[in-house]
Amino acid sequence: MKSFARLAYPYMFWISIFIVLPMLMIVFYAFSTQGNDVLTLQFTLDNFKRFFSDPIFPMVLYRSLKIAFMTTIICLAIGYPCAYLIAQMKEKDQTMMILLITLPMWINMLVRTYAWRGILMSTDLSSEIKVLIGMVYNFLPFMIIQIYTSLAKMDKSLLFAAHDLGANKIKTFLRITLPLSIPGVIAGITLVFLPAVSSFFIPILLGGGEYVLIGNLIENYFVASGDWNFGSAISLIMAVLIMASMFLTKKLDYGNKEG
Amino acid sequence: MYKFIKVSLCVLLLASTTACSKGEKNDFDPMETFGCDVLNVYNTGEYIGENTLSLFEETYNVKVNYSLFASNEMMYTKLMDNSQYDVLVPSDYMIERLISEEFLQPIDKDVITNMGAITPSIMNKDYDPGNVYSVPYFYGNVGIIYNTNNIDAADVEELGFNVFLEEKYKGQAYMYDSERDSFMVAFKALGYSMNTEDEAEIQAAYEWLLQVDENIEPAYVTDEVIDSIINEERDLAVVYSGDAAYMTSENENLAYYLPEGGTNLWFDAMVIPANAGCPSLANEFINFMLSYDVALDNSAYVGYTSSVEEVAQFLMSSEGDYFENNAYDARVDYEFDEVFVHNEVLKQKLADLWIKVKSK
Repeated sequence: MKSFARLAYPYMFWISIFIVLPMLMIVFYAFSTQGNDVLTLQFTLDNFKRFFSDPIFPMVLYRSLKIAFMTTIICLAIGYPCAYLIAQMKEKDQTMMILLITLPMWINMLVRTYAWRGILMSTDLSSEIKVLIGMVYNFLPFMIIQIYTSLAKMDKSLLFAAHDLGANKIKTFLRITLPLSIPGVIAGITLVFLPAVSSFFIPILLGGGEYVLIGNLIENYFVASGDWNFGSAISLIMAVLIMASMFLTKKLDYGNKEG
Repeated sequence: MYKFIKVSLCVLLLASTTACSKGEKNDFDPMETFGCDVLNVYNTGEYIGENTLSLFEETYNVKVNYSLFASNEMMYTKLMDNSQYDVLVPSDYMIERLISEEFLQPIDKDVITNMGAITPSIMNKDYDPGNVYSVPYFYGNVGIIYNTNNIDAADVEELGFNVFLEEKYKGQAYMYDSERDSFMVAFKALGYSMNTEDEAEIQAAYEWLLQVDENIEPAYVTDEVIDSIINEERDLAVVYSGDAAYMTSENENLAYYLPEGGTNLWFDAMVIPANAGCPSLANEFINFMLSYDVALDNSAYVGYTSSVEEVAQFLMSSEGDYFENNAYDARVDYEFDEVFVHNEVLKQKLADLWIKVKSK
């Protein structure tokens, strides 16, 4: 076994170069002033003060969390019944259905969102609804597949046992199917919420540039204004929030297992 | 989409021409003449003729690594990271900043013999007095493009940039999604200088932009504006003159107008970074770009006004691609037009205000 552990080294190397190091640089930028070089290093909290001193930035953050939350709820509401129905089908049909759901993902997300732009451009929907439609469309497959996977690997004999013991369909679902599918639901929520909260091209393409989310703020400060320090501070604030919400959902997961 | 196809075709074409030319190399030895045979060029997207680079490669037996930046600020950050390039094409305000921070080296006027062909009125500007560091590439203004079927020409001509306050054009306009360009429009609409530092004027400009947002609900876009206006999705926008030249040549319903109250006059120029790996070849490249045929091909393709006087004149003549195209004919010595100078403090303030306008 020990010799296999070595196989992880390239991955460790990969992680440290492409994930850990950039993260450290973001932290470094977030706490320093602009135009800094190594010789005249200056640390500061100004970037964070700037974020919280103007109501517009926390408002954008709130808006991002809100739309990500709504996206997740809608994906869950559509995704769960969908996954449940697929899991009830014959094995052959299941494979077909999952293939159909993943099929659009063979096409680049950006291209598909452009297609939605064409559809939604001439409608009178508000930018928020347009962005919401785009997000639900893009992230729904992640939810369905996660829930489906946990439903599909469920031991069917449990359902027969419940039936034998006199539980009706609703009770069986609430006491057996639902609890066993929770890990899939949690994974689905994570996979939908994370990209939704940080998405920046969906609001640009579908919101007509007038619907600014936190991802757009970050992009704007990095690319358009060249203010990497403030951009990093926003990224860091978002990263902390995301980590907190991940921690909470994990807690929910464990709590469920204990109960 | 059209742009994407254009770019991919361009890449294919470049690939095929280099592949074909491999068999018939000429005898020119770049190592002997320049001491290097690779040139790293860093430019904005859609900003060079489709055959220009391959022609340079064939003529001099060198390889050109061509990279693209999305904004001057992106390019600046890349330079700060010690990335090595031989030729850059930044805008006036960025050149000024690069010079003051000693990122550039003087150009070699003994090599760049075509310098004399440049339009005299665009030489020796404040961003680089005496053109010690920079050689003009393209230049132009920022103006209003509108669809004559749906927008009253009289409104545009009477109101200038204030046409963006007209409620009857609600849902029909685009604004440029950049704090520089939007605040420039606001300052000029209000009759201020775009280089103002006056708090009250900045506040007024901010309120002007908020008013625009409320009155006509513009979509804030960048390069999408080109295709969207050509396809008549919306009818009114603020655009760069070179893009306008291309747009008006694609759709005859479009017209371009430069406000009498003045607008932005800008220059993009070729410069050589101080840490360039191959400065001699870089100077040769700049000279090559100024030669008549190359500059003609380049300007005709991208639609921006060539810095080479004869080329610009030919393209505006009855034989040229931009005959009677007022967008191509950039306005240079107009008293209310200004160059938008770099101001670090102001920049941050405008960036924050711009986010506020968009987030409303």
